[in-house]
Amino acid sequence: MEVEEIMVKKIEYIEPGATVYDAIEKMIDKRIRSLLVKLKDKKDVYGVITVRDIVFKVIGKDLDPNKVKVEEIASKPLVCVDKDMSIEHVIKLMEKSNIARVFVSEEGEILGVVALLDVMAGSLIKRVREGWIA
Amino acid sequence: MLKKSFFGGKIEQEVIEKMKRHIEFLCSAFETFKTAMVNQDKELMSSVSDLEREGDIVRREIASSIYEGAFLPFLRPNICKFVEIVDDAFDVVEDAALEYTDVELDDKIKDDCAKIADMNLKMCEMLLIAFESLLSGEDLREKTLAIRIYEKKIDEIKFDLIKKLRAKEVKRFWEGKILSDFIFYLTNISDLIEDASDYLQIINVSLR
Repeated sequence: MEVEEIMVKKIEYIEPGATVYDAIEKMIDKRIRSLLVKLKDKKDVYGVITVRDIVFKVIGKDLDPNKVKVEEIASKPLVCVDKDMSIEHVIKLMEKSNIARVFVSEEGEILGVVALLDVMAGSLIKRVREGWIA
Repeated sequence: MLKKSFFGGKIEQEVIEKMKRHIEFLCSAFETFKTAMVNQDKELMSSVSDLEREGDIVRREIASSIYEGAFLPFLRPNICKFVEIVDDAFDVVEDAALEYTDVELDDKIKDDCAKIADMNLKMCEMLLIAFESLLSGEDLREKTLAIRIYEKKIDEIKFDLIKKLRAKEVKRFWEGKILSDFIFYLTNISDLIEDASDYLQIINVSLR
């Protein structure tokens, strides 16, 4: 099974200059755990801000989410994989890099995101299907 | 116990074969629906109704056999309910196919609909796997969980689709009504397959 089959195509973006509070609001409204940080200029690369970043880097340090900008705590560059990479490779990459999600890209364009939950669900479906064929 | 009560005698075997055929017809209907949608082939889409009629015939045969005394009495209601839910899924995919002949899908909506059609097919294939697992006495938990995973994914797309629909400008009443009904039918199928898989689990538990 390849990542293309399990990736989530719906990606939410946020401006790098937006406040962490804006990010919190968006994550809660959309019930998601990460936002892709848009490019600041042509030389910039995509970043990601996660619930983990917000909790550990802002809330845990007693900072005001209204005063911290997304770009200050976002992780860059993104860890990206090809759409035809196998789930097994993605699991190894996530474990090695200690990350909970990877982005799927093609020629610099972000196609989707694969989180641990997607990997878990995809692996179960694969197990059932292959188990049945075998 | 499992083999004795569920597989039973000749009449039970015949019903089981028909139930399997019923689900296989449903898979064919979903596959036809998906292919017709991807290729925008309205003629092929009309053949979904033919498969629904075939499914109806099989359902009637199953019901007759059960009323004639197939299976132990305590199993009959759940088996009948399972078959009825599969038949409801047939009706809904037929309704979606009928609406498709008049619906106008823009690019924003088309991709999501195609994805749902593909997942409906995968869910149905998983239902068939779960049914065969029931017959062979295997555990169903993983299969029904896989079905629930698909259902949740479809639900997520559904919420997105509804938002897109609400933002869409509707110029004519029927244009909006047909589009709304099409999305409703397309996204309702997964709930029925999930219900059917729940009944398989109930039958499985009642055999213990």
